[in-house]
This record gives sequence, structure tokens and C-alpha cells, in this order.
Amino acid sequence: MSVLTDHGDPAAGAALHAALPHFTWEPVIDRGDVTVPVDPRHEVEVATIARDRLGYTLFIDRFGADRGEDAEPRFDVYTILYNLDTGKRLHLCASLPGLDPVMPTLIPVFRGANWFEREIWDMYGIRFEGHPDLRRILMPDSFPDFPLRREYPMEGQGAWAAPSRAIGGGVDGQHGEVAVNYVPSRPPPAAGGPSGPGGAP
Amino acid sequence: MTDPRLLDVEVAEDRDAEHMLINMGPQHPSTHGVLRLILELDGEEIIRCEPVIGYLHRGKEKIGETLSFHQFLPYTDRLDYLAPLANNVAYTVACEKLVGVEATPRAQAIRVICCELARISAHLLGLGAYAMDLGAMTIFLWTFREREAIYSLIERICGARFTTSYTRVGGVERDLPEDFLPKLEAFVREFPGRVDEYEALLTRNKIWVRRTQGVGVISKEVALAYGLTGPNLRGSGIDYDCRKAHPYCGYEQYEFEVPVGSAGDCYDRYLVRIEEMRQSAHILRQVIDTLPSGPYINRDQERVLKSVLPDKTKTLTNMEALIHQFMVATESIAAPPGEAWFSAENPKGELGFFLRSNGGASATRCRIRAPSFAALQCLVEIVPGHMVADVMAILGSIDFVMGECDR
Repeated sequence: MSVLTDHGDPAAGAALHAALPHFTWEPVIDRGDVTVPVDPRHEVEVATIARDRLGYTLFIDRFGADRGEDAEPRFDVYTILYNLDTGKRLHLCASLPGLDPVMPTLIPVFRGANWFEREIWDMYGIRFEGHPDLRRILMPDSFPDFPLRREYPMEGQGAWAAPSRAIGGGVDGQHGEVAVNYVPSRPPPAAGGPSGPGGAP
Repeated sequence: MTDPRLLDVEVAEDRDAEHMLINMGPQHPSTHGVLRLILELDGEEIIRCEPVIGYLHRGKEKIGETLSFHQFLPYTDRLDYLAPLANNVAYTVACEKLVGVEATPRAQAIRVICCELARISAHLLGLGAYAMDLGAMTIFLWTFREREAIYSLIERICGARFTTSYTRVGGVERDLPEDFLPKLEAFVREFPGRVDEYEALLTRNKIWVRRTQGVGVISKEVALAYGLTGPNLRGSGIDYDCRKAHPYCGYEQYEFEVPVGSAGDCYDRYLVRIEEMRQSAHILRQVIDTLPSGPYINRDQERVLKSVLPDKTKTLTNMEALIHQFMVATESIAAPPGEAWFSAENPKGELGFFLRSNGGASATRCRIRAPSFAALQCLVEIVPGHMVADVMAILGSIDFVMGECDR
């Protein structure tokens, strides 16, 4: 299995400590992947250091994950960077609370984060402060929910079940009456500005 | 010169202010699927390009959280539907990394055959469609001639031509048929000559060169920041290929070169793909010569048995085997809690899977990192400044597929 499990650099924590000594680093090593938990507020700073000082120049991926309604912190936002010189990958993981998850955007460091953050917003409702264009990207603009949240059901609700609310729901964030067997435990953030569930038109 | 206003013709006096918005797609032929581009034009020059995606979104990541690991495999066929075998391999290796199983040497070599056949097939379609969009009809027909041969080979491997679902955790679904290697050998012997034919039509063709050279230049800096991978990244002069950087399925045993461009324009991306097809044929030749014997699926250890499907023929006569197969496919795949990320070098770039397990029957997160998603975002940066007709060249050279982009 060695060829599959030597992709992370176990020394990444020490290297980050040398560059940013005022934070604590406790990398998690799982199946050879090195994941560094970072505070969402400091993620931009860490990513900048990783890019400029540690050589992780290639932006590979940024995605969200949900631990479930009862978990706290509930959401994780992973950022995967790659070092072309050493051939090592670095996973950054920022954890966010379930209620109104928000964190700064990574666009100033990697411009390509733009669409990836739009997708995280689309799927999980995690807002990125400073994002210039935080709209839905894969789901229709009028879609009222965040479908990759764990409590969102596979069946029983969807755009086809509720054409009438799809029109109204996206604009004012109200959940219509056509929905089948599903009441979101936490309504999405109230309408107004970029936090409305449908986003800008 | 007479003042045009006296001639009773309308003159655009606010020439600087009038921009035209046009929608290219979602049904435009050069968008190969359902991509929509909103172009803002000043005359014929594009000043803003906004790709709109999501028309082919099927919620695969959500589906991946509800199905068992084996059940999700057919969905990976429909990611990059031009290279389903390569998707199967990438997903299965990710599962194997999560479970801690390793495929047998023979299975790994078979997977290399799968990946390289898929790469040739996908590059052929990309090249044919790219050339046809720029007016070179012949190439399209010629590449489909070779694709037909590849589909026949794939049919020999797994019985299906398009939606293969061929790999299994620990190996592959069935062994190669006896007459397969001679057929593959004949194809590999023929193929480099075919690539020469394509090159004879295009590489020094004046029209082709003028439509692609210097068009759609992607700088190294942009390529890195936008997360381009695969031929698009290498066309910009960055030498990164997962098969070399972190080999899987025994790619380290085979000798091949990674072509790298320099200018980052459409022409370089074309050259990179052409050379990759030759290298793939070179790899296939080596696999034919060194294909190890032995089992095609790993049924060695007790732990493995909980995640590996039993022999299909046994399930038809043996009750225990049938129950075992049912349990493995629907309920459990002894995946210990934790996370695994694996990315493979697919024809379009780096296809990554992130699987998170809490020990249950299905993943609690099934992230699919699609190379086309990153590549399409890059259009925002590279399309402005070009003419409308150049968009076809750029789209063709990016070689995306919407099934993977929208997931």
C-alpha cells in the first residue's frame, strides 16, 4: 500500500509551526494523508504561507463536508493543495458551527477558489465573506435548500415536487406548502443580500 | 466624405457604450453537452465571458452518501462518460485506500490497460470534436474509426461498450478473455501509424496552426491558481502527471514520458494530447509484454473477504456465496472509520475522490473532484480579448465534459 499512502508530508505541521509559531498545529494523519486543522479565521493566512513559503502552489480542491445536525462543529471546509517540487499534498480543514456558518473567502490566495466556494454555498449554505459573486452554481437559482446537508432527504422533495414554491421560495426564503414530508430543522439565513438562499438573480 | 447622418442610415454614435450580450449554449454544438457561455461583446471582441454550468447536475455526491460503496460504482461511469473505465479505476482505488485492500498484480495491470484505453479513446474524441469545430471534418471521422476499435476491445473486456462498471474492490469484475491480448496487440501495432495520419492532417496545416497558435494562452500562474490539471496544465509547461508524481496500479513499472508544452496555447494542448496517445500506446505495449498471471481479484485475507465480492459463477450455484454477494453489495464493506483521498490521472485531468466513512454501509461524504469543473472556471480568465470564433478553439482545446463538471 505504500504507493498509495505516502502522499502527505508528515513534517507539514513542523514547517507550518516554523512559519507561524503563534498558532498550534496538530496535523491528523489518516491513511497517509496529512490534514491540518485550521481556524477558519486564519485560513487565508495559512494558505498564503503554504503557497509562498512551503511551495504548495497548485490548488487542487476545496469542498465542504457535513458531520450531521447534532455534531458541533458541524461543517468542515477542506482545501487541498499540492506541492509540485516535493510531490506532497496538504489538506487544510476548517471547521464551522452549524448555525450560520461563515468564513473568509480564499479567492485572494487562489483565484480558482471562486467556483469551489460557490459550490460549497450551493450545497451546504456556508457563506464566504468577501466572495464577489456568491450565487448558486449547480442547483437552480430558485432552489430553496442546501441539498448536501445531511438532513436533506434523497426523496420526497425537489424542484419537480414544488414548482410553485420554487418561484416564491427562492426570492423570500420562505418554505412553501407543497413540500413533501420535509421540514428543515434550521431555516436558511434570512433573505436580503447575498445570504438569501436563492442568491442574486 | 458626406456626413453619414445625411444619408438616412443609422449610425452607432455611442460605439463605446453599446455592448452586446450573446448566449452561447446550452445547446451550441461546440459546447459538447450543456454548457452555456454568456459573452459580452464589443463588436466581435469578447470583453467578458461567464460560463453557466449545472444543467447536467444529477446530485452524484448526494447519491454517493446513500448507496453502499459497491452500488455507487455505476454512477462513476457517468462522470466523464468518455472514459468510464478510468473513472471506475479511480473510484475503486479510493475505496481500496479507505478499506485497506490492495488489488492483485494482475488486476493492477488490467486496470492500467483500462486507463490507457480510456485515455486514448477520450483524447480521440476530444481531438475529433476539436478539429470538427474548427472545420476539419475528416479528423472526426478518422478518430471515430479508432474509437470504434477501442469500444470493441472494451466490449471484449467487460461486455459493455459505454457504461462499463468493470472494477471491483480488490481487483476487477472478471478476467480478460483469452483472445483479448492478441486483439489489443493488433490495435497497439496499428495505432501509432493512425496518429501519424492525424498529425499529417493537422500539425503543419496552415489553417489549423493559425486558428490555434497564440489563441487561448493559459499562463503558468493562472493554471496553478485555477487548479488546472492534466493536459491543460501540462500544455502550460508544468510537468505534473499523477501517474508519475504518485503512481498507482503499478504505473511506476512502465516506462513512458510526460509531454509538456511551453506556450500554453490551444496548439500546445493539442500537441500534448497527441503525444499522450502515443505514450499510452507505448504503455499498453509494455503491459501486453509483462501482464502477470494470477488471480484477477484479491480474495486472500479474511478482512478482505468482507469487502470483496465473491466469484460471480459461484453465486449461481452456491447459497452462501449468493448471500455473501448480497451482503457485500448492499450492506457492508468493512470500511474502518476515517477519511481517504485518492486522485488519479484521468484523460481530462486529476479526478479525485474524497471518501469519509463512519464505519457504516455507505460513505458519509463522497466528494468528487472533477478536472473539468476547474478547467471551465478558467474560461473567465482566458476568453476575454478573443474573437467569438476563437471560443470554439478554446473550448475544444480545454476538452471538458459536462457529465463530470456538473456531477
